[in-house]
Amino acid sequence: MAAAAPVAPPDLASSRGVKPLRAGQGHSFLWRRLHSLSGIVPIGAFLIEHIVSNFEALNGPLAYAQQVKFLNGLPLVRVLEWAFIFIPLLFHAGYGLFITFRGRANVNVYPWASNWMYLTQRVTGIIALAYIIQHVWRQRFSGVSLPEHPGAAFHKVQVELSNPWMLAIYVIAMIATCWHFAYGIWLFSVKWGITPGDRARKRFGYVCAAVGTGLCALGLAGMWAFVSPKYANAPADVMPEQPAGVVLPAPSVAPPNSTNPSQPGRVAPE
Amino acid sequence: MATATLPTPTTTAAAQRTGTRTIKVEIKRQATPDAAARTEKFEIPYRPGMNITSVLGEIAAEPITADGRETTAIAYDANCLEEICGSCAMLINGKARMACSALVDKLREGDEPITLAPLSKFPVVRDLAVDRSVLFQNLKAVKAWVPIDGSYELGPAPRQFPQIQEQRYPLSNCISCTICMEVCPQFNDSTNFVGAATIAQVKLFNMDPSGAVLKEERLRALAGDGGVQECGMAQNCVAACPKQLPLIEAISDVSRDVVFQQVKDLFAR
Repeated sequence: MAAAAPVAPPDLASSRGVKPLRAGQGHSFLWRRLHSLSGIVPIGAFLIEHIVSNFEALNGPLAYAQQVKFLNGLPLVRVLEWAFIFIPLLFHAGYGLFITFRGRANVNVYPWASNWMYLTQRVTGIIALAYIIQHVWRQRFSGVSLPEHPGAAFHKVQVELSNPWMLAIYVIAMIATCWHFAYGIWLFSVKWGITPGDRARKRFGYVCAAVGTGLCALGLAGMWAFVSPKYANAPADVMPEQPAGVVLPAPSVAPPNSTNPSQPGRVAPE
Repeated sequence: MATATLPTPTTTAAAQRTGTRTIKVEIKRQATPDAAARTEKFEIPYRPGMNITSVLGEIAAEPITADGRETTAIAYDANCLEEICGSCAMLINGKARMACSALVDKLREGDEPITLAPLSKFPVVRDLAVDRSVLFQNLKAVKAWVPIDGSYELGPAPRQFPQIQEQRYPLSNCISCTICMEVCPQFNDSTNFVGAATIAQVKLFNMDPSGAVLKEERLRALAGDGGVQECGMAQNCVAACPKQLPLIEAISDVSRDVVFQQVKDLFAR
């Protein structure tokens, strides 16, 4: 028998198909973990704060205005807004799109529940991003400036939601965002090895579903305040005299015979 | 002995004439890695208890297409024929599974043809045979072995507790069939994800009392581009795995270990 030709080693540099692991090289681990973490804090934490704050609208335009005024009165509020909301959101959205377009969803071949969740997480993320872009532009950066006129907040949102199309967009986006967040918590706990076991994953899945459903219900209830007849045609500004932030009360002049000028209400008994 | 059961051209022709039951098979083929793919249709006599490897054997015995044209035998990988060597993974009716354990009786609905195609995420060598060496490269990249080779006596191995052994055994069942990688939406040429099998082997060897000496190196390797972070938790791997490996649990556990290792390296190294 003729001697067989020696087997050539596989030419990996020019080989097609998926490349081998680049052991220990690159920084995608850091970026991917930051993406996972940023979805929980600060973005998820902000989502909860935002939905809970908006729930205050059920107490009427004035209560809502005071909530907006309180938030805009937080120390370093503009720094907080950029550092803990806008910049993390931009990163999470940008890197999320990068992840989405590198995946090859295959639910048509493998229509399993978890595979659908994989696809749904990407779809809800894109819905949430599209919504958030228009929401931030229309409610934060155009029209009446709410940080400067917190009293106009209720009216501004009410006008927005008076358009049935916009109301439908808000409802869909609320559901998509809560879904994305709830499944995101579940993904976080699996990817960071907090709930590795079969039973732990299943149980925590129920917890996440409950959190997502509760948050969504809270958000939709808050939305109801703006479209319900109870507060229909809210005034354009419920506290026009009050600027944002903390202001000194008008100086009061102590009446004559005050024993304590810092407590002008007390007048010495005759 | 085995050849006695193989059909001759006359028996097949007779089977078709007399209306004996036949199986229709459509196979995606290509002669070389660069050739264009084409589909060939076959019709072979039915026998009870057939699996896909025996269907391919029937075609090899009589490589004639359904329209009577002579062709070549189908190239495919197979070895043990009992779902333990991991070589015969292919797309059967569009889904990745082992040809040896895919029973014809359970695959067919009515007279529908069975479709066979090569795994879609690996370079085709010929017909149904694909080049799955990326898994071998990945296992090498994470040092999925116990380093006991040496020029001197290493002494007895450390004791392995039965509790550890019980956790390791299911992971040791991996047959390197690459089905977990084929079904994974993240395993593709833009992520270059390492795939569930390699991550499960990292857990297996990290839990080995002797293999644990390479634990940190394995965890650092898995933090590289295409590492454990690319998992998107679609969980197709665990659903499709023919050996029921607890792959998601392994990915979750290893992910945590990789995070700890990265944090430790950041502050302590």
